[in-house]
Amino acid sequence: MRILRYLLHRLAFVLPQLLGIVLVSFLLVKSIPGDPAVLMLGPTATPDAISSLRGQMGLDQPLYKQFILYVDHLLHGDLGTSWQTTRPVLDDLLQRFPATLELVTFSLVVAIVVGLWLGIASALRPNGWIGRLTDIYGLSAGALPDFWFALVLIFVFYTLAHWAPAPLGRLDIAVLAPEPVTGFMTIDTLLAGDMEAFRSAVSHLILPVLTLGLINAGPIMKMTQSSMEKMLASDASRYEVLCGIPQRLVTRHALRNALPSIVTIVSVLYGYLIGGAVLVEIVFSWGGAGQYAVQGVLNSDIYPVLGFVLFSAIFSLIVYIVVDLVYVLVDPRISY
Amino acid sequence: MMSALRFFGRALLIRPRFAVGHVIVVLVVLAALLAPFVAPYSPVEANSNDFLQPPSHAHLFGTDAVGMDIFSRAITAPRIDLTIAILGTLLSSVVGTAIGALVGFYSVGRGPKVWLSFAVMRAADVLQAFPIFVFAIALVAALGQSIQTVVLAIAFVNMPIYLRLMRSQVLGIRAMRYVEAAKVAGVSDTTTIRRHIIPNAIAPVLAQLSVNVGWGILLTSALSFVGAGVRAPTPEWGSMIAMGFQNVVTGQWWPSVFPGLSLAVTVFGFSLVGASIEMLSDPAGRQTLAQDMERRGARMAARQVIKAGI
Amino acid sequence: MSIAVGAERPVAAPNVAEDLLRVEGLRVVFPTSAGGSRTVLRGIDLSVRPGEIMGLVGESGAGKTTLARSILGAPPVPGRVAGGRVVFRGRDILALPEKQLRRLRGHRLAIVVPNPRGELNPTVRIGDQIATMASVHLGLDRKAAKARALAMLRAVQIPDPERRMNAYPHELSGGMAQRAVIAIALICDPAFVISDDATSGLDVTVQAQILDLLRKLAAEHGSAMLFITRDVGITAHFCDRVAVLYNGEIMEVADRNALFLAPAHPYTLLLLAAFSHNPGLRQGWSVPASTPPSPAACIYSGRCPLAQPLCRDEKPPLAELGPGHAVRCHFPVRR
Repeated sequence: MRILRYLLHRLAFVLPQLLGIVLVSFLLVKSIPGDPAVLMLGPTATPDAISSLRGQMGLDQPLYKQFILYVDHLLHGDLGTSWQTTRPVLDDLLQRFPATLELVTFSLVVAIVVGLWLGIASALRPNGWIGRLTDIYGLSAGALPDFWFALVLIFVFYTLAHWAPAPLGRLDIAVLAPEPVTGFMTIDTLLAGDMEAFRSAVSHLILPVLTLGLINAGPIMKMTQSSMEKMLASDASRYEVLCGIPQRLVTRHALRNALPSIVTIVSVLYGYLIGGAVLVEIVFSWGGAGQYAVQGVLNSDIYPVLGFVLFSAIFSLIVYIVVDLVYVLVDPRISY
Repeated sequence: MMSALRFFGRALLIRPRFAVGHVIVVLVVLAALLAPFVAPYSPVEANSNDFLQPPSHAHLFGTDAVGMDIFSRAITAPRIDLTIAILGTLLSSVVGTAIGALVGFYSVGRGPKVWLSFAVMRAADVLQAFPIFVFAIALVAALGQSIQTVVLAIAFVNMPIYLRLMRSQVLGIRAMRYVEAAKVAGVSDTTTIRRHIIPNAIAPVLAQLSVNVGWGILLTSALSFVGAGVRAPTPEWGSMIAMGFQNVVTGQWWPSVFPGLSLAVTVFGFSLVGASIEMLSDPAGRQTLAQDMERRGARMAARQVIKAGI
Repeated sequence: MSIAVGAERPVAAPNVAEDLLRVEGLRVVFPTSAGGSRTVLRGIDLSVRPGEIMGLVGESGAGKTTLARSILGAPPVPGRVAGGRVVFRGRDILALPEKQLRRLRGHRLAIVVPNPRGELNPTVRIGDQIATMASVHLGLDRKAAKARALAMLRAVQIPDPERRMNAYPHELSGGMAQRAVIAIALICDPAFVISDDATSGLDVTVQAQILDLLRKLAAEHGSAMLFITRDVGITAHFCDRVAVLYNGEIMEVADRNALFLAPAHPYTLLLLAAFSHNPGLRQGWSVPASTPPSPAACIYSGRCPLAQPLCRDEKPPLAELGPGHAVRCHFPVRR
């Protein structure tokens, strides 16, 4: 019951924000020069054909009416049509978003493992070599352009060592894609029982996941380090030490108390990566939602861009709500 | 003033990585200023006889697919990258700080100004909910591809950071006695903000500036990488990396690796400088530094005594 | 219990051999921001016999908490032990490796801390925190540890112990949290318990209940206790012997009766006088410890109303005045 009230409260804040996001992105992409009707029909189209298509698409209406029309369509689950793929944007996104989500989720797992490990180790020995390594890593990981780091990895592991497959999509060209169920290639291949396709999917994931995971471990690591240092110096941890509790257990309890701030940064990172993985998607020809949106921008194809912005905003929102619910599980002092 | 400078110098001595950061930034700025005079080749002239040459004495970083000298291009690139990033950062910090100060000052109580502040904060929420890169690229597409629009995109994307930073600072300072005193004394709001609030809240903004120049360079190069920023053949790190993309896959690593390395080292340098400013502008950070200096001084003195004894 | 302890006793001088725990010349220093160091404990000598309640009284800032935690080998951060020994049953425990020291802490030597709601882990249930002690130190399995924890909660007279097992620290009152901390301290039947200002911040009535409980349980478990407090009044009722701590040094040690009926140190006198005349002083009383004129001087000479020239030139030793009564003063008060 309390959770329901919390959700309602949350929605009251979020719906206007979503509307704001749609409005801003609508105005933004609408002001991109280029007439979709012309682009769709090509340079040889007659003026009559163009104006009739403009009428069909509602492009002859004033801007505010176009916006109302768009929102109305949104409420009916219609995100518009991409003129590049000539398919409904919703279908395109439902097909591509899982690709992005799979990439981002595995990357986040790598970032969490690396970030937690380094963060905890350096909090336990702030003046040791691992503390120094952590400092340098935190500063330099944020400085690496991910698209360049991806290229370097491709050069080393594909061009030189031949360990990784060519950076072209999610599967080898010779491998047949399984029937999409979850959209996660690793899971779908397993569901289909196709081990060869599964291996291919994993091998294609490794380099992009390493790129995004290693570069984005920085914030998680810094947050883990600082909140673990605080928790290990807290009265509660000092008391446990005085009571002779083994360090392993003291560390585990401290980690549990540091978890809320770590979970927060992880959730922010998750939402950020959906849009932040775009360049890596492009480098690896991943065919994800971000790449789809960038192509939309570059080709005056506005509905894919709007759809992507909306998808990633809603995704962030879901993540934040889940995180708020996780807090309640982690910290008994919070109640809604 | 002198003692502050000396303190800064000694801080660089005991934190070598801060010194490294400052050296990098100085070198990059020097490269931007002096590139036309020190570059061995023209950074934009193609030479079809000399394409894809590996690094050698003649071409320190090799040549790219159309035969341009990569070293000359890599050291000329900061003229564009740095200019865009600094302009964008300055613009976003000035506007963001001003709005943030106003929003922070008018965030308590009632009245239209307070409502407006609330609206501004919600607008910042909306702005920050966007996927940054897609937003920036759409902005560039909407306003037309040019250097000015890249500057604007950087300014726009970073503005909420300054807005929030300044707002939280001002919220803390607002409650202080001297602000209350100024209010009671009948000082106008604008004067209070200008004279009493901004000067006391500005330190973290300064630390953020250097870090943000680094981010600005990253965003500029990312936009150029997908073809939405600076166009070839203008020397720019991101577009150079993009040009070398296909060569990397076939084994010619230098057209992409060197510009990327220059880019990464530059951004690293600006983050280090930002970290040093943050530590120096924070009383607790200064104290830590002072302690380390004492310890180091004592160790050095002891070492000298031991040497003299032997 | 004391007989069992006696069996382990090393061969040594008879009066020393009776001690369960002996602190010898313990010095603890804290680094300062200027890069130097500040001495907080200046060579503490103290002994506690099996089954005895030893009082230690001092003002805020005298070094009480530092002493309590340093005896367990974990001085408050960033302090460190710069010299001295803590001999427990004939072994210097400060010389033990960290792992062995941890096995002693909470098991053979336990501590009761003040302000327990800040010290207990906020995200672990009370029952689990108590049971952890039993499983870590006594090797009990989960079920047995829980049963023992419940018995312990009953022993410290927490109402409705079954329900409190599942409570989190923030759901307990100050008095209940204090009882929980006592349960944690006593669950392993420690030979030695340090009570560090355990009743400060509680109501007077709750304070009395907790003190009774502490004394009763310590007697039942056969534990000796170092009872640290700011309140001289409590020590009069509670302790067998009392030591007076001032600015990191022991000023006087005596049997309870000797200390209260025939105090010999001017500081002790002042302390007793202040308390008998002004009960309000009992909470958080403190006079800034004035620095002595020189390192060679008596630490109290800057504040002492009876100071003589000798006191500024030479530091007095902690000298035997009578049987079991020692005082650090050139000119002890005699009746």
